[in-house]
Amino acid sequence: MESKGSDDLELLERIRRGDTGGAGELFERYAPALLRFTDRMLSDRASAEEVTQEVFVKVISRAHQYDGRAGVASWLFAIAANACRDRRRRDRRAMVVPLEAVAEPRARGEGIESTIASRQRRQAVRQALSELSDEQREALVLARYHGMPYAEIADTLGISVGAVKTRIFRAVETLKAHFSEGESWTAAT
Amino acid sequence: MDCRDVKTIALDRLAGEADEASRRELSAHLAGCENCRREMGRLEDLWTVLGTDPDATVTPEFRERSLELIEEEFLRRRVREFRPRTRSVRPFLQAAAMLAAGAVGYLIARGLPSSSTASPTPVAGSAPRAIATPSAGVARASNTGSVVLDLASSPRFSNVSYRPADPDGRVGIEFDVTTRQTVVGRPEEPEVARLLAYLLSRNAETAGEKSRAIALVSEHYGTGSATASPEIVAALSATLRKDPNPGVRKKAADALASFAITPEIRTVFLAALVSDKNPAVRLVAVDALAAAAKQSPDAATIASLREKAVDPQENGFVRAKAASALKAISF
Repeated sequence: MESKGSDDLELLERIRRGDTGGAGELFERYAPALLRFTDRMLSDRASAEEVTQEVFVKVISRAHQYDGRAGVASWLFAIAANACRDRRRRDRRAMVVPLEAVAEPRARGEGIESTIASRQRRQAVRQALSELSDEQREALVLARYHGMPYAEIADTLGISVGAVKTRIFRAVETLKAHFSEGESWTAAT
Repeated sequence: MDCRDVKTIALDRLAGEADEASRRELSAHLAGCENCRREMGRLEDLWTVLGTDPDATVTPEFRERSLELIEEEFLRRRVREFRPRTRSVRPFLQAAAMLAAGAVGYLIARGLPSSSTASPTPVAGSAPRAIATPSAGVARASNTGSVVLDLASSPRFSNVSYRPADPDGRVGIEFDVTTRQTVVGRPEEPEVARLLAYLLSRNAETAGEKSRAIALVSEHYGTGSATASPEIVAALSATLRKDPNPGVRKKAADALASFAITPEIRTVFLAALVSDKNPAVRLVAVDALAAAAKQSPDAATIASLREKAVDPQENGFVRAKAASALKAISF
């Protein structure tokens, strides 16, 4: 995860002072990563957007609570992870969202064939990810898709580095079993 | 290295966490272990497959909605910060507000030429004076020091016209009573101020006449720091409160906004913000109150702006103006 420590602290300070621009800049900086994270955690674009917005609303109200023990990025992802867990708990029964219905905006100029292939890949991977526990998925997503070091993942999730490794290890074992039992790996590729 | 360690170290390597020594050790083990090579291959494939999942992207619509939400949240927080009144404090605040309103009323009444009616009654200062009636057909130009005006009898002036300020800052007011009269003087001079207030509050009958009187006042006081005479403030306040013509009320509000905001003017604007039917007038009130609150924030102004900012029945422009005004006030 790219570190922008002092800049981030400055933005938080501006938010504490009630500067809307500071929150706007923080959004521009972190919304893409947080949206990617919440999208993979929830497998539902609309929910992911809502939760991502929720993160920034919480940041505004909790900026004064940030104690600097973890980096600002870790703090943001921790808020996002908690928000995703809350959302999943609340919507447990309604979480079965047909992935075909997930409205991922199509990239400009993207052809129909590549859109279908992309959707199939997405469907296959999301299906596999959905079999992981929240804890395993959080650790794996942060490591695989956000390139976050184990130590930072540990800070974010409030666990030890050893626990991070264990969760990722178990997640990978589950995914291997999923792909070997059901769809072939190449179907996803 | 044991075969049981391979998966862990292989994952570390994929995640970019394996150090140089571990990577070398892993490579050495894989070179001599067919099973572990296959396992490593499977892990690499899995890692690659996961990477094919396309990232969600921030769309312009999502970005726009989110930034709006952030703005709203800041606004809500400001509103909440100014809502800490407890039930025990409220009666004291209400009593204080009533006292303040009484004091303002007293001050306005003292500033008026006569307190017997709600509208400013024209009075010619401390000593009764008669309007000078010069020889018929002669328009008399003079300093106000030599002009003697008796407005107590509510004379009807007609054909009123105004001359803008000369290099000395003196304005001219011409009118017909029995003959053509011209009064020249600075608007802050008591006689001129009373005459202007009288023309505005009592003599002017049409919207045009009122607007011209107000324009003269605005032009003179348009610096934003001038302190207007109590007569003029009272006349403009009465116009803003009561005039049926929204255009005239708006002009009166503009004129009042150009003065240094006193507690009396603030009270009038607070009332206009709450009860004036015309959104343009309310917008002027928001601006004036916000400008005053920037200098010295007061709870009544903040509360009124807050109510307007979140009032779903309020005109959208007024609501937005109130919201942005709140943002500009540091409290």
